[in-house]
Amino acid sequence: MRSRIVITGMGAVCGAGRTPEAMLAAIVEGRSAIGPIGGFDTTGWPVTNAAEIADFNARALVDDRKLHKLIRRTDMVGIYAGDRAAESAGYAAYRDALDEDAANAFCDRTGVYVGSGAGAFENQYDFFPLMAAANGDLVKFGRDLPDTVNPMWLLRTLPNNVLCHVGIRNRLKGANACITNHSVGGTLAVIEAAEALRHGEADRALAIGHDTPIEPQNILYYDQCGLLSHSVLRPFDLRRDGSLFGEGAGAVALETEAAAAARGAPILGEVLGGGYVSEASGLLAIRDDGDGVVRAIEAALADAGIDAADVGMIVAHGNGTPLSDASEAAGLRRVFGDRCPPVTAFKWAIGHLIAAAGIVETTIALAALRARTVPGIATYAEPDPACAALPVASEARTPRSDVALVLCRGFAATDAALLVRATPA
Amino acid sequence: MQQPRRRVAITGIGLVTPIGNDVRATWASLDAVRNGAAPITLFDASGFSTRIAAEVKQFDDEAITAPRRLLKFANRSHRFALAAAEEAIRDAGIAPTDDDAQRWGCAVGTGMMGVAYSDLSEVQRHSAPDGTIDCRKLLTDPSAADPLAFCRSQSTAGVALLTRRFGISGHATSVHTACASGGQAIGTALKLIRRGAVDRALAGGFDSMISPVGLAGFCLLSAVSTDNDTPQRASRPFDATRNGFVLGEGAGFLVLEEWEAAKRRGARIYAELAGDGNSLSSYRITDSPPNGDGPIQSMRAALADARATPADVDYINAHGTSTGMNDRSETAAIHAVFGDDAKRVFVSSTKSVMGHLIAAAGAVEVAICALAIDRGEMPVNANYRESDPDCDLNLVLERPRRQKVRMTLSNSFGFGGSNSCVALRSPELAGDTQ
Repeated sequence: MRSRIVITGMGAVCGAGRTPEAMLAAIVEGRSAIGPIGGFDTTGWPVTNAAEIADFNARALVDDRKLHKLIRRTDMVGIYAGDRAAESAGYAAYRDALDEDAANAFCDRTGVYVGSGAGAFENQYDFFPLMAAANGDLVKFGRDLPDTVNPMWLLRTLPNNVLCHVGIRNRLKGANACITNHSVGGTLAVIEAAEALRHGEADRALAIGHDTPIEPQNILYYDQCGLLSHSVLRPFDLRRDGSLFGEGAGAVALETEAAAAARGAPILGEVLGGGYVSEASGLLAIRDDGDGVVRAIEAALADAGIDAADVGMIVAHGNGTPLSDASEAAGLRRVFGDRCPPVTAFKWAIGHLIAAAGIVETTIALAALRARTVPGIATYAEPDPACAALPVASEARTPRSDVALVLCRGFAATDAALLVRATPA
Repeated sequence: MQQPRRRVAITGIGLVTPIGNDVRATWASLDAVRNGAAPITLFDASGFSTRIAAEVKQFDDEAITAPRRLLKFANRSHRFALAAAEEAIRDAGIAPTDDDAQRWGCAVGTGMMGVAYSDLSEVQRHSAPDGTIDCRKLLTDPSAADPLAFCRSQSTAGVALLTRRFGISGHATSVHTACASGGQAIGTALKLIRRGAVDRALAGGFDSMISPVGLAGFCLLSAVSTDNDTPQRASRPFDATRNGFVLGEGAGFLVLEEWEAAKRRGARIYAELAGDGNSLSSYRITDSPPNGDGPIQSMRAALADARATPADVDYINAHGTSTGMNDRSETAAIHAVFGDDAKRVFVSSTKSVMGHLIAAAGAVEVAICALAIDRGEMPVNANYRESDPDCDLNLVLERPRRQKVRMTLSNSFGFGGSNSCVALRSPELAGDTQ
């Protein structure tokens, strides 16, 4: 009998709010956080919309001002979500009441798994003033370097900064990973953390995903690859023309059932199982038959030991690109046939958070299950024959059970499926 | 009673390192203690405080049999990865087929430098001529519209190339915990096979930071040795006069197989991938705790995971970067874990010969441990002259030490505080823990 992995805390931030419940409320009301980009001048740009965190306040997210010099925007949101999850799971309150040996053991047995967005372009722009002054002269570049570039530059750009600082701030010292696997990173953090707990590597672990992809150069590249919408993100709709970025982070605190019970931790839900595969078709290409989606879901169901009929709602990846949505619908059809539970998607309201997408959507899915609602997709209007018979809707429905399937797809033709159960609120 | 569990065999190895472009050449250089450091040739580094590095030499794309069109999606480190992975697959004598592709996984430790300097430089010239990015100019910047430049820059570029090249369609993931990346990737693959997610895996790491921006990052932190006149002496782990690491580059890959499946097909087994331990120092972002806290837990966890004790271990391939802080902290950790056995267990840092391969280091060094077991020979800790009382380890000095090697540990500790320790066991002894 394998041990159950329970969820004892959550945290999330994105353009739609600073808690999963606030995000759910916005989605239920049909409010999208996607709007004109304020971070840079998009005059003349083909893509002008994204879901920014409009009132971004670094100090409100991370109280330690000294730390701000050592981290980037993506790290701020990741640390915020991780701290909130640790706080709501009651880590510090419990640990501080222990004697020193027991407190140290608690720290050593608490892990951190992070899906990090890595690979941003803007962090290297810090070298532009030096490069402009050197004008191609690398000797001058090398000589003037110490006077021009922040000595902590490399540390500020580490992809594993959230892992590092959430660890330091919360005294977490156990098993860990920083997964830099594009969109599936956050979901993989949950899957790997749950597996580590099942196999006794730790008693509890934070799983975090964070990303801030709304960068000019990134937007141009994605648009060049035909991935971005020039208007509205409409998952599964006939008129869909691409995705739009969002930014933010999500975190869940996972714990073995025994460890959670021993410290009387709150139980918000449970990670039932996960599945993850690649279609081996290169960085951008995906199959149109949904092969990866099918295999990921089947692996997740087998891992969880449940049937397709037990799934109460599906949070699709639904990124709004013509090919991804059609192949995702094809995959769902192959697994669930004509008995598919209500399907929804959240990116129309929060944008595509890339490495944070799957985990933020998992926290919203848990909030939705607890509120017993499958929120509608407000931008969904015209059914697409290519997504035929997929039970998506613009209005809210009721989940068939307390189990949600959350799908996540990423570059390198990767597909992840996560099954979670919510404890009634 | 311990639960029976799936065991994992190392059946293929591939290397591209500063001291050799394959396993045979790399091992020969370790054996002869031929150092890989030299003045930097990849760009004009004469203005930098550090002007030396351990570059991969005479690397020829022709060594990669992947279709040429795939190489357009590959930067320098991805080319190393393709070549090393190909050698590992060839060496194992098994590759994914249509029938079992879904039972193969891939786990890689990938570097943090996505954008090649040449691509960055083009964007700067066009869109930031005065040093500040101008979004209107960016809009007409041809290099900011080049999908190939974009693909090469992505953190999943490497794993995408490898899964496509070899047709791996199971669990495929990239990890980055700075210098611990390669070790953590191997540990990830171990667990994937153990838990039955896949039966075989291609696992490793690749990196190349020998570029103006990559070197700049380390120069600014004063992390690299400035012994520009004596490059081959610059990396001297555990020596009292050590003053920083030598930046290297390359790739290391392993083919891992579920033990019984490997036996059934009569595979050559280098070693059992026996255990993985991984911890977070949660101390400071670059520093290691002087008392070894963090690395102590990762080493203990690796031993426990391998169902072994310090008495079983004959060789530790140390992280041994040749920085003041790391080598002292690692020494303290080895003493804390090994106690009296620290006098007996042999230790060397192969970074003394090939430099620090950053995200590839852990994977390359696990491969070296497998070769040490297979060949009964422990590589030298080169350049050691002056003893440091804070680094009192039983180092392999002067020449490689030939003896039967029962178990090895490979340490990798990263900026950000992630610590990885991977335990390997001789295949002859692997049955003992059943």
